[in-house]
Amino acid sequence: MTIKIAQLSCGTEYSSVQYEIEKAARSVGAKVVYPDVSAVDVENAVERFGFRPRSNQLKLMIARAVQLADGNYAADAVFITTCFRCAEAALVRNEIRRFIQENTNLPVVTYSFTERLKASQLLTRMEALVTIVTRKELLARERQAGITAGLDSGSSTTKAVIMQDNKIIGKAWTPSHNVVESATFVLNEALAQAGLEYKDIEAMGTTGYGRFTLGEHFKDKVKLIQEELTVNSKGAVWLADRQRGEATIIDIGGMDNKAITVRDGIPDNFTMGGVCAGASGRFLEMTSRRLKIDVTQLGALADKGNWRNAKMNSYCSVFGIQDLVTTLGDGKSFEDVAAAACHSVAEQVYEQQLQEIDVRHPIIQVGGTSLISGLVTAVGEVLGEKPIVPADSQFIGAVGGALLSSGFL
Amino acid sequence: MSDERETRLLMISPASRLTPEMLARTIHSMGVDVALKETCYGCLIEGRREAVLEVTRRARGLQGNSVFSKRRAYRMGDPVRCRAQHGTRPGFSQLESEWVALPYIEAGLDAIDRGEKYKKIPAKEKLPVDKLIEICEVKL
Amino acid sequence: MKVFIDPPNSLILFDLVERFGHEPLSTMAALQERIDNIEVDMPPMNVTLDDVVRGLKYAGIEVPSGVRGRLAVWGPMIEEADAAIIVDDPPFSFGCVGCERSELMVKYLIKRRGIPMLRVPYPNSEEEGKVFVGQVKEFLEGLQ
Repeated sequence: MTIKIAQLSCGTEYSSVQYEIEKAARSVGAKVVYPDVSAVDVENAVERFGFRPRSNQLKLMIARAVQLADGNYAADAVFITTCFRCAEAALVRNEIRRFIQENTNLPVVTYSFTERLKASQLLTRMEALVTIVTRKELLARERQAGITAGLDSGSSTTKAVIMQDNKIIGKAWTPSHNVVESATFVLNEALAQAGLEYKDIEAMGTTGYGRFTLGEHFKDKVKLIQEELTVNSKGAVWLADRQRGEATIIDIGGMDNKAITVRDGIPDNFTMGGVCAGASGRFLEMTSRRLKIDVTQLGALADKGNWRNAKMNSYCSVFGIQDLVTTLGDGKSFEDVAAAACHSVAEQVYEQQLQEIDVRHPIIQVGGTSLISGLVTAVGEVLGEKPIVPADSQFIGAVGGALLSSGFL
Repeated sequence: MSDERETRLLMISPASRLTPEMLARTIHSMGVDVALKETCYGCLIEGRREAVLEVTRRARGLQGNSVFSKRRAYRMGDPVRCRAQHGTRPGFSQLESEWVALPYIEAGLDAIDRGEKYKKIPAKEKLPVDKLIEICEVKL
Repeated sequence: MKVFIDPPNSLILFDLVERFGHEPLSTMAALQERIDNIEVDMPPMNVTLDDVVRGLKYAGIEVPSGVRGRLAVWGPMIEEADAAIIVDDPPFSFGCVGCERSELMVKYLIKRRGIPMLRVPYPNSEEEGKVFVGQVKEFLEGLQ
């Protein structure tokens, strides 16, 4: 079955990215389609929608969204994309996203592109759209069964868990270097903790950047190779015991951030940012290095400080580090600087990711950075609600992999 | 500009009695070496530039001024532009809108053929503020 | 003479310019050159990263890529043109002409070149159509 992804966009063909979008869709077994509209539909749709942009291509986007909302055009998922730095399009993009969510059950992803966009950057997002459409039944799984393993090959760290009868019985992590070696190392550690051997594993799920390599390497066991958006959200709701109802999952990663909204454990909207290192865990690592502390100590240090004493308003890690050096030069305390770094990351996640989804409650913060208490505090301050950080929150991907792969037993 | 291949669409004004079928038949009977595809709005033709231009010129002379033409970047039947492959491309709405306005243009061309002179229509000015104030005060 | 038309994909303008004996410069021709270039495989339009980078000639890096890509296609045509006809407030301007910012820049670039230029309001009736066609004909016939 070919999944039809309706594209609502402006500027893709003139930015040399349309080909990349279609390539990404094809590589996950999907096809990009444009909901049919006539010129009359455009005027009526804009009138009904109530937002009248000056650019006609944006009006066309609105008309196409209305066709989807009215069920006049059959598509399985929606991809809304416009040029980075276009204010008019950014307003329309977000309001169309909201409109589609209010009026359809289609999974949606939004993206603002530059001319440098490559298919690989969209792959995870497209794959997640397809997963949500094709694997609804699997994603509805709430209990782990049998003996399964999950491997999460992330950009900063590699994680493994062993689960048996809906319990974690072994877990390990290590900084990522060689994908296969790192994964083998953590898998063996987790197995040792569980008191099991490799042959005991009944099914395995892989996720993260190295998922395909690991899927191939452990192919005798791997039943599931899946992108981290859907896998992580399953892991998060399982760990936080929030399988029913709504939630927002925030995962500030080493290289990119994810914000996912879920309903009954199934993701229905997500954003994934990766343009800026200033808004990721990498910035906190850089800050720790400059403060000559381990990143694991940064959170406690930040909790003792006050970010207001050492403001950092940088969008980019290079400028961020410049701010940091200047602030330290001004004689500010390490505690205040640590708090300011956490606040800066939280603020940017809010500005860059959370503007593109409707935040639902509770907020569950996961991933390795959720262990940095100062960052969780900062996210809570920015959002006005303290996030839930479940135990083993850094293992979401691995737990999701173990949980979902048990669906194949 | 490519002299090798030219693809054109010929669009019939909605005010015309000419049908796409009649247009296609007439072009066939011209005996010029062009490929032709009948469409809902008229037809698409493709061939060497000179041949396409000749057909266009002769088609424009049919039934007053009711046939209009422009080039098309894509070859006839190019799947990239095909509506059936992925839904309409943005240019579809553009053509639809222009089609609606063709009778006005046709009327303009006919008027020129009759030797009529046009009279510029003065643009509507915005009401001056003092005039608006005056009206408001009278109403009050 | 070579006449740039705005909207640059307009059927009506393309037709009238040709009908009255001049060569219309259009998006369609500019795109055909790209599409027929068999060395490039970037469907649908073969507008490449190089094009978007070339667009920096007309607008800085802080300007969205879609604007720069459009200007990379139209800019050289405006430079090549001997004259231009602009339709003001057309109800039709989708697709390649769907970006208002790019459209504003196109009008400005034409103005800056200082070539003969006609601005005509879009006709909404037969009477206005007569004025529209009359003005276009007069302008085109006056081009030396």
